[in-house]
Amino acid sequence: MGTEKRVLDTSMLMLAVNFAVILFYGIICPVTTFRICRSLQAYEFLSAAGTIPQNPLMVPLGALTQFALLTAVSLRKQTDENGVPRNAGFVCFAEIILCIGIIWSLNFYYTGIALLVLADLVNYIRDNKVRVLLLVILVFIFAFGRYEVISAQTGKVAFSVYLSFYDAKIQGYLSAIESVLVSANILLFVYYMVLLFNGESAEKERIRSLYDQLKKANSELERMTEIRERNRLAREIHDTLGHTLTGIIMASEASLALFDRQPEEARKRLEAVAGAARDGLSDVRQSIRALRPDTLEKHTLQQALEEMIKKFEAATSVKVDFRQEAGDLYFASDEEDALYRIVQECLTNAVRHGHADAICVTIRQQESALLIDIRDNGRGSADIKEGFGLRHMRERLDLLSGSVTYGNRKDDPGDGQEGFYVIASLPVRSIKGGN
Amino acid sequence: MDKAEKNIGWFVILMTFLIMIWGTVDLTHKRTVTLRVGVYAGSYWDSPNGDCYRILDQAIKRFESEHEGVKVEYVSGIGSADYSEWLTEQILMDREPDVYFVLPEDFDLLVTSGALAPLDHLILLDGSFDTEAYYEPCLSAGRRGGIQYALPQESVPTIMFVNKTLLSRAGIDMPAADWTWNDCLNICQQVTERIPEAYSTYDYSWNDALYANNASLFSERGDSCSLTDSNIRDAIRFISRLEEMNHGRIVTSRDFDLGNVVFRPFLYSEYRMYQPFPWRVKKYTNFEWDGLPMPAGPDGDNVSVLQTMLMGMSSRADHPELAWEFLKLLCYDREIQLDLYKYSRGISPIAEIAENSGIVELLQKDIPGTTEFDAEVIHRIMTSAVEVHRFPGYDRALMMAENGVREEAENDSSRGDGLLSLQREINEFLSENK
Repeated sequence: MGTEKRVLDTSMLMLAVNFAVILFYGIICPVTTFRICRSLQAYEFLSAAGTIPQNPLMVPLGALTQFALLTAVSLRKQTDENGVPRNAGFVCFAEIILCIGIIWSLNFYYTGIALLVLADLVNYIRDNKVRVLLLVILVFIFAFGRYEVISAQTGKVAFSVYLSFYDAKIQGYLSAIESVLVSANILLFVYYMVLLFNGESAEKERIRSLYDQLKKANSELERMTEIRERNRLAREIHDTLGHTLTGIIMASEASLALFDRQPEEARKRLEAVAGAARDGLSDVRQSIRALRPDTLEKHTLQQALEEMIKKFEAATSVKVDFRQEAGDLYFASDEEDALYRIVQECLTNAVRHGHADAICVTIRQQESALLIDIRDNGRGSADIKEGFGLRHMRERLDLLSGSVTYGNRKDDPGDGQEGFYVIASLPVRSIKGGN
Repeated sequence: MDKAEKNIGWFVILMTFLIMIWGTVDLTHKRTVTLRVGVYAGSYWDSPNGDCYRILDQAIKRFESEHEGVKVEYVSGIGSADYSEWLTEQILMDREPDVYFVLPEDFDLLVTSGALAPLDHLILLDGSFDTEAYYEPCLSAGRRGGIQYALPQESVPTIMFVNKTLLSRAGIDMPAADWTWNDCLNICQQVTERIPEAYSTYDYSWNDALYANNASLFSERGDSCSLTDSNIRDAIRFISRLEEMNHGRIVTSRDFDLGNVVFRPFLYSEYRMYQPFPWRVKKYTNFEWDGLPMPAGPDGDNVSVLQTMLMGMSSRADHPELAWEFLKLLCYDREIQLDLYKYSRGISPIAEIAENSGIVELLQKDIPGTTEFDAEVIHRIMTSAVEVHRFPGYDRALMMAENGVREEAENDSSRGDGLLSLQREINEFLSENK
């Protein structure tokens, strides 16, 4: 981001300006001292200074060493992936201590280093309370660390005393350099803060808009989930209850027809009806609980299909020819669900709409697809309308990247007989051998 | 361990390493401690002194044998005129000696700048040291604001030179040691009347006289001037009366050398330098001379101005205890002080040494006839002497006062009190100078 780079550039510039200031004082103090000693003005200097100066070389050595440490701490400090500072306490403490150390080494001539540290820490620490605390501490150091303010306590030599040993022209140049550097640091600091807080408010604005979008998307998603869940529920009810109830109706009608002639047979059928009703109830319960077919819960897909077909035959006395030619079937549970429901739906449809009495269910593998071919001998459909069942079948298969084709067997060139056919195709994800 | 922790780890290791190096250096340093001494060559008191390093070398030898592993160093060849500059240069470069001589005029600067270490706690803790041994005026020369910053090493009072030949020519006896301004005026009056080519005094200003009239030109802190005090007015009047006897003639050093001047204040060091044979004859060939305490004013005593060479130790000394021991050796040890008294030109600030009858006799043995300078006179001079506090700007303020008073005397003083406006002017300067 542009602002971030500009903030970084400004802080680097501040670092450079502060280095220049330290170099300035670090050169002037020892060089002037040597000059004074060479021109035999030491006595005059001590009289003017009124206090013994520290070792002249300690000004550059002390200040530059501490400045190097400060730079190292500043450049190597890190934040974790969430932008939270690491070792924040250590970094703040170290930088403030080094800041005071540098000011002390520079005989309190220059406190602008506090602004450098403040700029650095304000960008690093995002907690506003800590920021205010740092601001108070460092601005205090900046304002009251000046030689003019605490000269009485420091026992340091005023910088003006050093300058007074040059002639007026050089004094002018040196003062100009000093004030340009000091003002540059302050200006850079102000610019830095403006950049930083502008950048931060822009970022806050961006975050707020993203948050709004997220909220909208979230409510949309909730609505979608609700609709999808409702659809799924409808499908489940259709699949389980519809199938079972069709079977029950068919079987009970047959029982009614047989009731007078073959009461024994009718009783058997009714028992089957009762069984189917119980299974249906269990299915409904299961659906409510897990929305999964009960038989699949307990058995493999093949067993579940065989079970379902057996029950169907028993309930409807329709002859179902089940051919499993795809070897052992192992699918993910969503695929198993889909296969099971498709077969179930087709059987129900064949009886309900086609009034078939013989159905052929073939499962075979063709290249990388599993084909479920269901053909009945019913009357087919003159005007094929995709009802709830077929639509759900398609939806289920779509979810699994599969497809479905259906139509009258007459229209299928390889068949030509009476009846209806459905071919569901499902890409094979895993068919494991074994068992 | 994250990166920041690793950094802290490195930092700690680095610091430990540095501290270890520093510790090692410090330990090896301790094996041979070097004590540096700041010393000037020759004599501060304008009198040649060939043996300037002799006593110091003796003291160093003794100190080194008493303190094993200690080496005492000094830079030789720094004349007393260059000494102040040399010393401040060392201070500026942070390499000043641990123990150094403090010239009287530098004492104030070295105290206010914090170059000298206060000695009070060392004095207090040292059971073998007693400040009572010193003459109080000498000791107080090393004191500012009630704190002792330096010890007196040698003192030189101002005394009065008397031309005995002129006195005997005029038929006047040597005055007694407790003589007064009136005695002085009478003698000069008689001598100048009886001997036409004789002059009263040379180089005797009201500033030299006022201390004997219980006055002080500047306050202790150097922030005000009391030129209009009646005691000072008396001194000015006293000197102008002496000058009137010269009938407007400006007396020169040549007049003095020719033996035509009765009195001249001079330093005791010069007295000691030139009084013994053969210097006495070589310096002033055609007259006999001697010294006297300064004449007492109507409100004062025979008070001399005292100049005291001090020794102090640096506030940045690496081994303050050793520095104190060495300082004590030079300024307090009886043996060293006795040697100093023998070979230098001043008076020992330690009463016991200064009044040691053996030494006083030794000093007197070359002086023909009687001399006033017995142990009792030395005691009187040294106990009553005053130290002039030379604050920064002292020389300038004194010059203003002297010039002003001279102008006042030359002009007709009848047109109002010129001294009052002069005093105001000097006070203004002093307050600006602060």
